[in-house]
Amino acid sequence: MADTDSGSRGRRLAFVAIAAAVATAICGCRVSRPRNDHAATQTLYDSMVSDPGTFNPVLVTDSASAVATGDMFESLTRVNPRTTLFEPGLAQSWKFSDGDKTLTFHLRHDVKWSDGAPFTARDVLFTMRVIYDPKIPNSMVSAMMIDGKPIAVSAPDDYTVVARLPRPFAPILSSMQFAILPAHALAGAYEAGRFNRIWGIDTPPDRLIGLGAFLMTRYVPAQLIAYRRNPDYWMRDEHGAPLPRLKGEVHLIVPDQNAQYLQFQSGMTDVYHPRPEEVWPLEQAAKRLDITVRKVGIDTGSLFFAFNRNPRHYVRGGVVDPRLKWFTDVNFMRALAHAVDKQGMIDLCYRGLAVPAVSDVSPENKIYHNPNLKDYDYDLEEAAQILDRAGYRMIRPGVRGDPEGHPLVFRLTTNTGVPVRDQMCAIFKQDLQQLGITVNYRPLDFITLVKALDSSFDWDCVLIGFTGTIEPNDASDFLRSSGNLHIWDPAQPKPATPWEAQIDHLMDEGTMVVDPYKRAPYYWQIQQILHDQLPIIETVRAVTYIAYRNTLENYYPTVWGFYHPEWIEFRAQ
Amino acid sequence: MNAGAAHIRAENHAAAARRGWRAAAGREWRAASLTVKLSAVMLLAFYIFAAASPMIAPYDPARQWRTMPDCPPMRLHLAPPSDWSRGFLYAFPMRLDNPMARHYVEDRSRRTFVHLFYRGRLFTTAPGAPPFFLMGSENLGRDLFSRIVYGARVSMCIGLVGVAISFSLGIMVGAFSGMMGGYTDSAIMRMCEIEMSLPSFYFLLALAAVIPSGLSTTATFFLIVAIMAFISWAGFARVIRGMAASVRAAPYVEAARALGGSRRRLLFRHIIPAVIGFAAVNASLSIPGYILGESALSLLGLGIQEPAASWGNLLSQAMDPQTIAYFPWILMPGLFISAAVMAFNFLGDHLRDRFDPSNAA
Repeated sequence: MADTDSGSRGRRLAFVAIAAAVATAICGCRVSRPRNDHAATQTLYDSMVSDPGTFNPVLVTDSASAVATGDMFESLTRVNPRTTLFEPGLAQSWKFSDGDKTLTFHLRHDVKWSDGAPFTARDVLFTMRVIYDPKIPNSMVSAMMIDGKPIAVSAPDDYTVVARLPRPFAPILSSMQFAILPAHALAGAYEAGRFNRIWGIDTPPDRLIGLGAFLMTRYVPAQLIAYRRNPDYWMRDEHGAPLPRLKGEVHLIVPDQNAQYLQFQSGMTDVYHPRPEEVWPLEQAAKRLDITVRKVGIDTGSLFFAFNRNPRHYVRGGVVDPRLKWFTDVNFMRALAHAVDKQGMIDLCYRGLAVPAVSDVSPENKIYHNPNLKDYDYDLEEAAQILDRAGYRMIRPGVRGDPEGHPLVFRLTTNTGVPVRDQMCAIFKQDLQQLGITVNYRPLDFITLVKALDSSFDWDCVLIGFTGTIEPNDASDFLRSSGNLHIWDPAQPKPATPWEAQIDHLMDEGTMVVDPYKRAPYYWQIQQILHDQLPIIETVRAVTYIAYRNTLENYYPTVWGFYHPEWIEFRAQ
Repeated sequence: MNAGAAHIRAENHAAAARRGWRAAAGREWRAASLTVKLSAVMLLAFYIFAAASPMIAPYDPARQWRTMPDCPPMRLHLAPPSDWSRGFLYAFPMRLDNPMARHYVEDRSRRTFVHLFYRGRLFTTAPGAPPFFLMGSENLGRDLFSRIVYGARVSMCIGLVGVAISFSLGIMVGAFSGMMGGYTDSAIMRMCEIEMSLPSFYFLLALAAVIPSGLSTTATFFLIVAIMAFISWAGFARVIRGMAASVRAAPYVEAARALGGSRRRLLFRHIIPAVIGFAAVNASLSIPGYILGESALSLLGLGIQEPAASWGNLLSQAMDPQTIAYFPWILMPGLFISAAVMAFNFLGDHLRDRFDPSNAA
């Protein structure tokens, strides 16, 4: 369950440690423009929240490990974050043939591993063998199964890879975005059954063999990860000069976001992702700090209230809990959708730096986002009328009951330690109170919450966020009725409702067409169904900002990653 | 006739007792220093907050003015006599000038009248009028002063309830153990020591985390108090046990035992009365611990849950240094916490000086 901003207990406990530094900042000690040698050494400093768990790209499950390995390894295809379309990576071209059932990749000839060995098709085949190995737990394999079967690949020569598919499978290009491993360095360990233990975080960085733009030079746990540029990197700029332009990168490991903020202000880091309340102070200080604060875009994820429709929780000994009837009653859900004060949430929780979310797919997903959905307006009177018409009437002052007379009471939860979510829940609770619906709100720590959602099913309503990706089939586990992340009623043996069956069908159909623009209508229709049936009620999406030093050039962040990160450099001084 | 005389006598007794009580209270009041007097007045005020919150708070503590988050405290102005028909006091409404910065300006073109003793409240504004935030608003646009007043219910009562639980437990176990002596005494005291060796704050965190969801705020509140009391009784029991053990050897207790007094009689008539003065003094000194403990738990999100207010969870918004820098008034609940804690300490010290027998010797 990928969650954008889970768990910050550590941050809170670290509060004391930085109090002194903070006091300095508050007292308004107006330090002059921060100075550092980052531009002189062409080394970009940024910060990350936690230590990586592994340097083995196949075993990565957390975002810190993904960041740590991201620049060292590369995949066959990459996505242009501006167009959200695929671009060549280690494969310089590819072609669909045989009615879209064969995909041929032509690999680059000029790519070398950092130990001098050439990159070949052998590396691709080896990596896929590792990913499909049931003894090696990894998060890639589910995206690489077509109807439960692995993709058959072969290599007619050293620089050609042919994938044969049982049927046309549009997400294949996205699936092939796994980091390629060096077969010559790791095959021995893999054959010996030691793959799960190699390239852990205790590996000396010079033993990690990569082919990306940067190579790791130093890892100090809880402090930093340092990289130097890869002199043999394959990419060239428009004048034929080698890339990347930066000589090095350093990720500082700083668990506390307040500390990250202070470090950026003091010049220790060059880049910072401000929280909504920090955007304005940074804009005010932009001149003094010599920084640019730029809007990046709309959050790619989705933050929503989900309602439990799981009979395994609500039906006990043949008795159906009334809550199951409410949450599966589309009128009840529509009334609730009208009671979500999105503008209030935007103003109170995000300082106005957010937009109402209508669909579960972010508008930043330009092709697959359905722009035609009409939002449920915040209107408590409308909500009350819908409830009245559907038989949910006031049974005593301030208390509304269902048609059988049960008072409307349910529990609301989210994960602890995220103030924005607490506030959003407080707003929702207050509005439902006005409708005569009692909400008992209690946040749970992340582990307990996940347990409630995926095994005990003991929950009523949850505010939870999922991260978003460009490929719509990546949400398969969430959208399909059989999926484990089909949060309102996971892992159904067969679809519980006609509309869930229809979503399953559309998910199948959507993978058959390769052209993204022809695929889009299937996913638009799924968004429409979710919007009409309301198993989840969308809330808002943050507008994200980034702050960076003015000395950085060619710095083009987007919500999907950097545009041409290899071109980033510090201006010559 | 006889009955009438008895009646008069009884009334005289009652009056004398009243006079005596009053005289004693007067003596105590005069004997107290200014600090102690101030502390007593402050605590009285806080308990009035708790008892009469709906009358003292100007607004419903859960009401959200969603266009007015983090609004600064407003200034109160005296109306010119010509406007006294509309009200004596007024404030200029605040307007959110820059939502990103949460910057407010006073809207001098309008006035919102603050009425005293209006609609059953000490002071408030008319229903449709812009609100008057005496101590500003917090991040959901709720009136901070109203929340502080309601928060006093939790923060001021938690000490009393907690002390009641831990001290009755401590006195019973301690006095019993001291009276029995021997193996029973050893066994009970070793148990107390085991209990005392638990790292209390982590223990508290662990227990608070297993409170089932779906409990009402009141239930959660009492569970938390019970947990805190459960953690703190053992140390107290040990002290009482020491005192009880020494009292047990005193001639009058020996005498009572020789005369065939039962264990229960010894415990309730002789031992507990001997230690109760010390216990009362210690009780008042341990109340602040509960207030602070509740704030620590609520600060970490494990105590009283939104939208219910306690001084601790009100302060949790002040965890973020940014917020303190821009909206310093959200530290106000902290001021109330320190005031209450100091008042209890001053008062407890004073009580010890006056009543603790070990101190008098």
